[in-house]
Amino acid sequence: MNEKSLPVRLKNFVLATGTALAFVYLFLPLLTNSCGILHRMSVYLDNNGIDPTRYYYTDVEQVQEGEEYLRSVLEK
Amino acid sequence: MEMAPRRGECRKQTEEEETLMTQDSNVVIDHGKSQWSDLWKKEDYLAIWLGFIIIAVCIAVYTTFGPKAEIAEKIAAANQVQESELARAPFKTVAWHKAQDEKAGLKASSSSFGKFITHWTKKPGSWKTNPLDAFIMTEAQAKERNEKGMPGYEEAKAKAAAALTAAVAAEEAAAATSFQDGALNDAAKTGIDAWRDAHKAEADAKKKVGYKPFNYFPSLIGLCFFIAAIFGVGIAMMGKSMPAFMQGFTIVFLVAVLAYMLGGQAISKQYGFGAEAWGVVLGMLIANTVGTPKWVLPACEVEFFIKTGLVLLGAEVLFNKIVAIGTPGIFVAWVVTPVVLVCTYIFGQTVLKMPSKTLNIVISADMSVCGTSAAIATAAACRAKKEELTLSIGLSLVFTAIMMIAMPAFIKAVGIPEVLGGAWMGGTIDSTGAVAAAGAFLGQKAMYVAATIKMIQNVMIGVTAFCVAVYWVTKVEATGTGHAVGAGEIWHRFPKFVLGFIAASILFSILDQSMGKDLGKAVLDQGIVRGGTRLLRDWFFALSFAAIGLSTNFRELSKYFKGGKPLILYVCGQSLNLVLTLAMAYVMFYVVFPEITAKI
Repeated sequence: MNEKSLPVRLKNFVLATGTALAFVYLFLPLLTNSCGILHRMSVYLDNNGIDPTRYYYTDVEQVQEGEEYLRSVLEK
Repeated sequence: MEMAPRRGECRKQTEEEETLMTQDSNVVIDHGKSQWSDLWKKEDYLAIWLGFIIIAVCIAVYTTFGPKAEIAEKIAAANQVQESELARAPFKTVAWHKAQDEKAGLKASSSSFGKFITHWTKKPGSWKTNPLDAFIMTEAQAKERNEKGMPGYEEAKAKAAAALTAAVAAEEAAAATSFQDGALNDAAKTGIDAWRDAHKAEADAKKKVGYKPFNYFPSLIGLCFFIAAIFGVGIAMMGKSMPAFMQGFTIVFLVAVLAYMLGGQAISKQYGFGAEAWGVVLGMLIANTVGTPKWVLPACEVEFFIKTGLVLLGAEVLFNKIVAIGTPGIFVAWVVTPVVLVCTYIFGQTVLKMPSKTLNIVISADMSVCGTSAAIATAAACRAKKEELTLSIGLSLVFTAIMMIAMPAFIKAVGIPEVLGGAWMGGTIDSTGAVAAAGAFLGQKAMYVAATIKMIQNVMIGVTAFCVAVYWVTKVEATGTGHAVGAGEIWHRFPKFVLGFIAASILFSILDQSMGKDLGKAVLDQGIVRGGTRLLRDWFFALSFAAIGLSTNFRELSKYFKGGKPLILYVCGQSLNLVLTLAMAYVMFYVVFPEITAKI
């Protein structure tokens, strides 16, 4: 990597970062807006404050809601 | 995870050990040397110390010096109301629900320490079009957002008030007959259920009018110094250069902050590209284009961050949670999951003949247990390489994004019932957030079941990490030498931080059980964990992913993907998971325990 000159490395960085950002912030929104089901899901997630990136149950508020609901109905 | 140079050291050490063993013929001899000084010099132990110091501080502050006694009093009063209401009426009355709401609102994190630690561990927030919104919200912006949400809130509030009036009237009518009239009782229950729905809608709407101005830059700077200091001490105790670590740490922290910012964008979040994914991507882009500066590398302490984060994660692995949905949940999450994990691993070794056993087990755990968190724990337990962890998580992210959208659509199209669909998604989609999203898309009951099944499965990472660590030191690494190894050697090789992880899990499970469900929720869950250990755990993992990216070479990574075996493994394992989970969920929820399904 260090064999390349600094301007080349910087150019590569800008290109690679630009591609990654364009994919997420241009292509994916385009895909979302052009596909009904994706758009509905996007609106739904936004309205309900659900974050699909959270990986553990303590990070997801809806888990607690679910646990409380199940506790209340199963205890009846 | 093994960093490349250490792997070299390990090989060298193993070669020396093999030479010694050859000299000793087939006599079982332990060459591992565990010393007392390991307790304050070795990374695994230091991760345990650091993790447990944080845990001890949080426990002390939230219990001994905190609002535990005051909360306990309020819970006792609410319980008294609930008991008398249950004795008075044959259903849960309005007063019973109000007492329940009061208990639900009790949070130890609302104390001054909770507010302090929450403020100083803030991570960049969500945004849509302007990345700066992740860091700063002015007074005017907060006011504008609150005003936008106000009509919805006012409407929901009015509906909730009207529903409450109707519920109270229906309950009073039923009470006038001393709850002897079945029709009036049913009408009261219906009225109360309607009020609860309206109350939930009001609570959801209220979140959209609670914006307050913020500026995260000062707290981020403070947090950077704090984390650099605590890990810096550990680095110094390991005999490494603390100033070199501190110098490079600012860049690792900066990458983690940027990753949080990029992952906080609404569309990025929708597809599951969160801070962890962005940390690796951003770090790798830097490392493989401009090159990670040499002075940054001493701060890329991937293992130290991950192990400490895992010890803290142990506080969130509560074994009491596995009974949350009764026996069906245990069968779906705790029987299918290990079967799929073991079958996928065997398939990878015997059919696909995957060259790396560590990559094989990390993908198997990642796919069958709970995605990223299971991948992190398993990778650390079997000392997988950081490229293997990156690859496993990458696969998981892609398939999670696909399954999160495809599964609810398929379930709706085929007409699978909500409870079955929820259990199926909860047992198969990797990430918990994505499970909640997919479940919510299908329906509220589906979300509740899916999220709860996932929670039960999440708890399995403790057992998985422990079993993998034991299997690795006793079988995989032992057979690698061609000689049987003794207990001393096994102990020497065992990843000790796993013991810290398990110890934290057992400690918190006991605390949770002893406090009881209400006090446990208010003090342990909403205080010690959500207002303490979890906040730092999140940062430690974010830092580890940034460090992984900054020290990963694309070419190294691509070697692991050669032949597409990891992809085949994931697809085959997930296919088995989908079939077994659906079959088990159907049998449990619709054949063996239909009464539980009827209640849900």
